[in-house]
Amino acid sequence: MKITFTINNEERSLEVSSHQRLLDIIRKDLGLTAAKEGCGKGECGACTVLFNGEPVASCLVLAPQADGAEILTVEGLLSREGELHPLQQAFLDAGAVQCGFCIPGSIMTGYRLLQDNPEPEREEVCQALAGNICRCTGYQKIVDAIQLAARRMQAGGDSS
Amino acid sequence: MSTKYVGEKVTKVDACKKVTGEAKYTEDLVNDFSDLLHIRVLRTPHPHAYLREINLEPAREVAGVVEVFTAADFPELKEFGLIIKDQPVLVGIDQKMRYLGDALALVVAETDAAALQGRDRIELEIEELEVVDNPLRSMEQGCIQIHEDHEIEVTHYLDPEMCCDNILSDNYLDKGDVEKGFAEADLIVEREYQTQFVEQLPLQVEKGIADYDEESGEIIIWAASQWLHDTQADIAQAMGISKDKIRIKQPVIGGAFGKKEDISVHIHLALAARELKRPVQLIYNREESMIAQSKRHPQIIRHKTGVSSEGKLTAWQTKMIMDTGAYASSGPAVVRNAMFHCTGPYQVPNVRAACYAVYTNNTYCGAMRGFGATQMAFAYDSQMDVIARELEIDPADFRMRNAYQPGSTTPGGEKLELGVNVRETIARARRLSGWQEGDNNA
Amino acid sequence: MFGFGYGEGFPDHSIASVEPAGEGRILIRTSAADVGQGVQTVAVQIASEVLKLDPEHFEIVEGDTHTTQNAGSSSATRQTYFTGHAVKEAAEDLLGNIYHYASQEFTTNHPEMGTRDGRIFSHVNSDDEMTIWELKDRLANRGIELKGRGTFFPRTYKPDPETGQSEKVYVGYSYHTQVVEVVVDTVTGQVTVEKAYSAIDAGKAINPAGVEGQVEGGTAQGLGMALMEEQIIEEGRTLNPDMSRYLVPTAVDVPEVETVIVENEDTDGPFGAKGIGEPAMIATAPAIINAIYDAIGVRFYQLPVTPEKIKAALEQN
Repeated sequence: MKITFTINNEERSLEVSSHQRLLDIIRKDLGLTAAKEGCGKGECGACTVLFNGEPVASCLVLAPQADGAEILTVEGLLSREGELHPLQQAFLDAGAVQCGFCIPGSIMTGYRLLQDNPEPEREEVCQALAGNICRCTGYQKIVDAIQLAARRMQAGGDSS
Repeated sequence: MSTKYVGEKVTKVDACKKVTGEAKYTEDLVNDFSDLLHIRVLRTPHPHAYLREINLEPAREVAGVVEVFTAADFPELKEFGLIIKDQPVLVGIDQKMRYLGDALALVVAETDAAALQGRDRIELEIEELEVVDNPLRSMEQGCIQIHEDHEIEVTHYLDPEMCCDNILSDNYLDKGDVEKGFAEADLIVEREYQTQFVEQLPLQVEKGIADYDEESGEIIIWAASQWLHDTQADIAQAMGISKDKIRIKQPVIGGAFGKKEDISVHIHLALAARELKRPVQLIYNREESMIAQSKRHPQIIRHKTGVSSEGKLTAWQTKMIMDTGAYASSGPAVVRNAMFHCTGPYQVPNVRAACYAVYTNNTYCGAMRGFGATQMAFAYDSQMDVIARELEIDPADFRMRNAYQPGSTTPGGEKLELGVNVRETIARARRLSGWQEGDNNA
Repeated sequence: MFGFGYGEGFPDHSIASVEPAGEGRILIRTSAADVGQGVQTVAVQIASEVLKLDPEHFEIVEGDTHTTQNAGSSSATRQTYFTGHAVKEAAEDLLGNIYHYASQEFTTNHPEMGTRDGRIFSHVNSDDEMTIWELKDRLANRGIELKGRGTFFPRTYKPDPETGQSEKVYVGYSYHTQVVEVVVDTVTGQVTVEKAYSAIDAGKAINPAGVEGQVEGGTAQGLGMALMEEQIIEEGRTLNPDMSRYLVPTAVDVPEVETVIVENEDTDGPFGAKGIGEPAMIATAPAIINAIYDAIGVRFYQLPVTPEKIKAALEQN
């Protein structure tokens, strides 16, 4: 079947089969490889993208469900000029990146959190990240990064 | 030392590409190939059995299946392994499967779905054997031998009744006079500690792509490896070809923690790419990764420690039995690393240890962060705590009294001179945490 | 404590090279696997330091068996020490070659020269100045390749098989002490690790944020081993081969970790550095188990100490 959806502010139409996963069409058909597969069962969070504004494990969403949806991945966070989003910059500055495999998912979770809660407490960031497994960092610097981005975005009045 | 870049705050050089999604991990390279074939590995249905027959025809009939390979296709193949070459690339007819991760056949197909379907249709006949699932059983008289050609001469028997057929490696320490040390002790504490199978669980599981360059005869592999050139050498020796025919290109790696020391997808990919002269991919799922690839070794550790009433260690004896699973992997080195760390950072004049790595039919164990010393640390630092409580000495003080100083000697007899900072780490952690100051220098 | 490097007489070594490439770029060739721990960053910092050149100029050639040489394994807590050393020697070799050939170009003595930010200059004659890349091009015309190469190959000795005694078992030793605070819920058996305080002996932290990251990640893995992680294998079969039954710590399970880095610069490592990757994890499990004893007076001898085990032990007492 043919589906039409918006991804990273661009409208796309694709021929998909009923058993294809959203993660596969993002990674394979669209070549957007930031979202990663760590388990294929919705357990690890590495494939997190925003789906109609909410963070989802894209390995658990079937392609036909994406018809009419609005999807955002890490690739869509860069500005038109190619500048990093404050969250991406904060992940660099806080030293939150080790192997990096979980990072695109964690950034998307952080992005959604800051929309609702522009000044989250540490505890709240940890709660939001509970579905994004990271085996390298012990999460501390990921939490630091999200709080750093929150402070910078508040100071800069940027809530995008 | 005054430095401008060393010791300073820098942005990790690989981080920017990782926050934008540009970093290319193995799985991100598949889009660069238009005609990739998919491999699925048929693994054993039983942890300990002889393979008697294999019928590939039903798999070959599946639309999209290109080829099914078994050991019979590669009579030249040799076994592989990091230290001891004891692991088969493919288990052949009348050969033994020794754990659930052993490979019996490679199904190569135009799509992953076809490869899976083909794999699940292969018919097997096996002869089941006793499954040895713990190292104590493995060391009992009369236990079936897991590696039928394995020979070992065990010099120091932990127990004269024990059977050595399944012992992969026996290791000993003897420093000072441990009997004299126990005679001098005012208190002797003996305890047994046990650790579990731990999965390294890097977020990225084992994945790879291989291609064959007909002109140069080179097989090019894109797959993560913690040690590129060692992986290259092991693939080449298993396939019986020269090293320069195996070229590995390292993609960005999604974590390892020891799990990517061992061969996983590499040899299977190389064989299929060479035979079919087409690019192939092999991607494990999490379940396959957990069952087929290495674990942290479970250890049974018995520490007997002598200490004076003033809280000075006089003697330390360690017996350790470690489940190495079905294959050696890093086991012969892990058992020794555990042994050399048996007293931790504490000075003991008299030390004796006997440590064994033992085969079973469990998933094989290999490298994981700490490499045997992590398990041992749980045991020795629990032991130190037990003793401190019995002596009613502050546990931090007790550690401080026995911690290495310049001039101390390790259980291996090495005299420590440079950078012996353990006492400083104890003092600093204590201060940082607000642990009440006690007697630091007794 | 952790003895790093393969040790025991194993011929453990790392080879690296540092080569000026196109304008403004310098390539570092090493096959050291960056599994996330940051060896590539450490290599760039060290080369930057030796050549007095900003990190932006450096590029790591991705590991390739045919274009990079053996760097040994990213294990045994060895890459900062081994590859850090090899890169330092390679950068020093390059610097030596820059002085050697530039002194020919300038017809000057070595002490009368300097380099900074990619420029080579003479203190005697201010006209004598060129960039590293200009020198590289001039040498290329003479058929000479400007590069530096470094190998680090420290010695250890094989222990006696009977007694395990050796003059030098490991390349060096790193130490780590950690204090943890735990709360044990005596009704549910749940252990919460509230805070961890670490003092880690890094010799010299090449990348301090990297050292902290190792300690924080190591603490999470140590916590997992102490309290929740176990692959259950019965009769050779794994009963929990997925992440909903094999649990690892999430963001809500880990404590805040406060780390002090002990830096005495007292090793043979590059700039006095030691490896810290494995020692960063080793302290945590025993610290948690000892803290549980301190909290509830029960000693656990088998890992992991799950809530069920704590409940059962408390019911027994």
